[in-house]
Amino acid sequence: MAVRATRWKRLMSAAAVAATLALTAACGSGGSSGSDGAAAGGPVTLEFAQWWGAELPAGEFDKIISDFTAQNPNITVKLLSAPYASTKQQLVTSAASQTLPDVVGLDGAWVNDFAKQGAITDLSTLMTEANYDPSQLASQVQVADKTYMIPVVNFVYPLFVNKDLLAKAGVTSVPTTRTQFLDAAKKISAIGGDVKGWALPLDSAVPNGVQNDVMSWLWASGGSMLQDGKPNLSSAPVKSAVEFVKNLNDAGVIAPGSLTMKEQDKVEKFTNGQVGMMIDSLAHINLIKKNKPDLNFEVAALPAEDGYTGERGIPYASWGIGISDSTEHKAEAFKFVQYLLGKDVNAKLSTIANGFPGNKNAAPDLNAGDPRFKTAFDIYQQGYPANEFVGLPKSEDLMRRFNEQLQLVLTGGASVDDALATTQQSWSAVIG
Amino acid sequence: MTGMAKTRIKTRHTLAKAGVITGLVIGGLFAGLPIVWMLSTSFKSNGDVFQNPPNLITDTFSLDAYLEILGNGEQLRFFLNSYIVAFAVTILTLLVALLAGYAFSRFRFPFQRTINAVIVSVQVVPPITLVVPYFGLVVALGLYNTYPGLILTHMVFTLPYAIIMITAYLNTLPRELDESVKIDGGTSWTALWRVLVPISVPGLIAVGVYTFMISWNEYLFALTLTRTNDMRTVPIGIQLLMGQHSYEWNQMMAMSILGSIPVLLLFLLFQRRFIGGLTAGAVKA
Amino acid sequence: MTSANVDPAAAPLTAASAGGSASGRRHAGLTRRLVPYGYLSPTMLLLTVLMVVPIVMVIGYSFRDNVIVNKNPVFAGLVNYAKVLTDADFLAALQNTAVFISVSTAAHLVLGLTFAMMLNTKLLGGITKAVFRIVYILPWLFTIAVIAVIWRLLLDPAGVVNYVLQTLGLIQDGVSWLGEPGTALWAVTFANIWSGYPFFMISLLAALQGISADLYEAAAVDGTNWLQRFVHVTLPQLRPVIISMAVLDLIWTSQQFALIWMMTGGGPLNSTEMLSTYTYKQAFSEYEFATASAAAVIVLLLTAALAFFYVRQQREQ
Repeated sequence: MAVRATRWKRLMSAAAVAATLALTAACGSGGSSGSDGAAAGGPVTLEFAQWWGAELPAGEFDKIISDFTAQNPNITVKLLSAPYASTKQQLVTSAASQTLPDVVGLDGAWVNDFAKQGAITDLSTLMTEANYDPSQLASQVQVADKTYMIPVVNFVYPLFVNKDLLAKAGVTSVPTTRTQFLDAAKKISAIGGDVKGWALPLDSAVPNGVQNDVMSWLWASGGSMLQDGKPNLSSAPVKSAVEFVKNLNDAGVIAPGSLTMKEQDKVEKFTNGQVGMMIDSLAHINLIKKNKPDLNFEVAALPAEDGYTGERGIPYASWGIGISDSTEHKAEAFKFVQYLLGKDVNAKLSTIANGFPGNKNAAPDLNAGDPRFKTAFDIYQQGYPANEFVGLPKSEDLMRRFNEQLQLVLTGGASVDDALATTQQSWSAVIG
Repeated sequence: MTGMAKTRIKTRHTLAKAGVITGLVIGGLFAGLPIVWMLSTSFKSNGDVFQNPPNLITDTFSLDAYLEILGNGEQLRFFLNSYIVAFAVTILTLLVALLAGYAFSRFRFPFQRTINAVIVSVQVVPPITLVVPYFGLVVALGLYNTYPGLILTHMVFTLPYAIIMITAYLNTLPRELDESVKIDGGTSWTALWRVLVPISVPGLIAVGVYTFMISWNEYLFALTLTRTNDMRTVPIGIQLLMGQHSYEWNQMMAMSILGSIPVLLLFLLFQRRFIGGLTAGAVKA
Repeated sequence: MTSANVDPAAAPLTAASAGGSASGRRHAGLTRRLVPYGYLSPTMLLLTVLMVVPIVMVIGYSFRDNVIVNKNPVFAGLVNYAKVLTDADFLAALQNTAVFISVSTAAHLVLGLTFAMMLNTKLLGGITKAVFRIVYILPWLFTIAVIAVIWRLLLDPAGVVNYVLQTLGLIQDGVSWLGEPGTALWAVTFANIWSGYPFFMISLLAALQGISADLYEAAAVDGTNWLQRFVHVTLPQLRPVIISMAVLDLIWTSQQFALIWMMTGGGPLNSTEMLSTYTYKQAFSEYEFATASAAAVIVLLLTAALAFFYVRQQREQ
């Protein structure tokens, strides 16, 4: 085939040149991502790609969006929804062709990569242009001192405990230290059947179990996996957190199948009473109540190292927002961002999503919803939000590398020290 | 003696029959049980999906998931889009592949083997690696988020197989048939449409059903090349039910069951011809 | 598309009508030689624009550094290839893929042939066979995402499969089929076998029905038994179909991405990492599109060898 293919090769390279030219032409012409009405002041349609609508009670998000158009008659917002699992791949692909929707929902873990790719725009500049006061924002995700993402709603990850299982196992109080947690987990597992103390989702397709279910132990005891922005995995706190997870595994208190378990499975197992404790997003309260109305559970702060008295870091994830670098309607797009982060709208959105507002001044209605929501808010205020993966380059890849080594530890293929040393090395190659 | 032999043959016949039926039932369980579980899940409430020990029918048995999907305009639109795309892909693939297969079957021309090799080899490229450049190309051609974009893309994946099968099928038809048309003063074009196409119908149906299946179930490009839900197909609709944190188990399963019905009907409708068609093509494939 | 179809129609007509003078004859000869290309033109146009061009672009990426992420990538020679070929993960993926596709294809063939033979038997009535035919094609009708999800559900440590095996006393505790490095690859392969055999079965069933009854009668006269007839009549007759299907199946299975990604994500511990999931991680998790492209080109070369074999075997027919 190779010998006969010379003529083909010539033809193909000609075609490639033609295609490249066509692509360049298309990119040059702006790739306005389908928005119509380019003239300033005229009607503008903003496309907003996100996965949030599907996670909220039906119709609620549409209502918030249509209120915006009512206030800004010349701006229409068109919601584009995508399956969450494919959102990132979609954004990478469309950013490569400069067709990213005007406004995009972001996860903190993606920001660095999109910013470097030039896909999302520097929001600091837009804030200055719009005379926006960033001091009202609870947090901003920055790359090289410029803001690229603003968290709109934050979801903390407290400890969920099934009180009935706890009582059945003879555990009288919710564990607050690692020793108590291990003990409680052992007692719950001793109930028998398929019941286990804890669930650890380590599936490598979406490796954020490393962030939510493993590193959270470190952060809850005030530890850090970084030092001066560089990986610091060989430190004693990291080692003790990983060893604790290994101890839980060795004690046989982790639900089976954890190496390919997904976050959904973890929640399903807790909901069905197959797992007594889990670290999970507060956003799941509604889901658990919907699927098992009579489940007796509560939320608590994550257990810390024995004797630790400092503030506890509590892991969080965000619905972040960013603006495409190639949109022609940056000012209008920022107006929309401002709207979502406005005091009242932000409070309302946080309340229906069971999250905490991205605007400091917004006060979510703590009494309207579940009492556990109030508990979590207190935990949140007593500690500090911690998620060191936010803003790191290739953070999903970092999690995956850590995940692989952790899996080795749990299957007896490596010692904790070796695994951490290997991960330290591979992380250093990315962020060192 | 003869009586005993007869009995023995009869016994052996009954034994063979019992053996085949046992085999068929075991195979049927292997094929069907996961589907039964899918069906059972579609009738459960989401809270009961992970119930332990597992139950085929739970107290929460209901048709809500089906009603939810059938009562939702957006979900129905996914079905409509899938029909439009899959039918267009099927018809166009058959047309284009028929012409190509005709050329390969009835003509000898320079580079025939090379072109044939290229057509076979393009299907070996893992689609996932093509996503990024392909997307850029589709945007540049102005086909992003359009039916034609999806249809042409699916055709790229259905054409090679269709051409191979149709070529093989045409090869089984005697050349004298089209020669006689030419003797009567007809062209190769008239020979194709007046003589070959009418007797190739079973083969075309076989290839058509196969093409329809591929297009109906395609996910990666159907998602990447569309932006809005009014252009998306059933597999994307199913995936949209898998949220960030939880799955709508019952609706996902209900939508899969609903989605499989048209293909099943198509198969039922054409199954005799389908099998007949593949026979003729396959024998000399 | 429609306009392209007109060309081949016009060509032979011109050829037929312009057969007069010497120059006309030469013209006619040229036109006649162009006819097959006319018939092929829609296919070639479509495949060139939408398939060959992207493939050439991927090949181009594989020789550059930091494509997609960096707007001005530089030429990097064979660096990306060297990186991929020395990556232990890639080699593991290569090995897993080899196991996955060969076991899948072999099982598809065995199951497909067994089921096809049972469905082709003369011992049973038409309706019975029709019902089983429907049951047997069911796995073919579902989109891959649902197949992945249903098998995850069935193979869960507290799922139906374990429940049944425990009830039958075959195992003591629930096995985490997808969570154990030792069983995950087999579990994924099993799901793939389940979802992919119907196409084999249908094609072989069709081919079985095409075997002339005379051949069996002749064999029966020679006093052969069932096994001898199978080995000496059925298998040789099916050989071309089996080879074509096997090669196509190897190619299709090697592209399987969604099933593995959604069932195990390549884990645990790389035990189900395939070339397709490896490439995906390179591109969308590590943002190394250049290495991903190099891996894709290597896959292309490997599978092109299969295609070459396939074309050659087609030609022998």
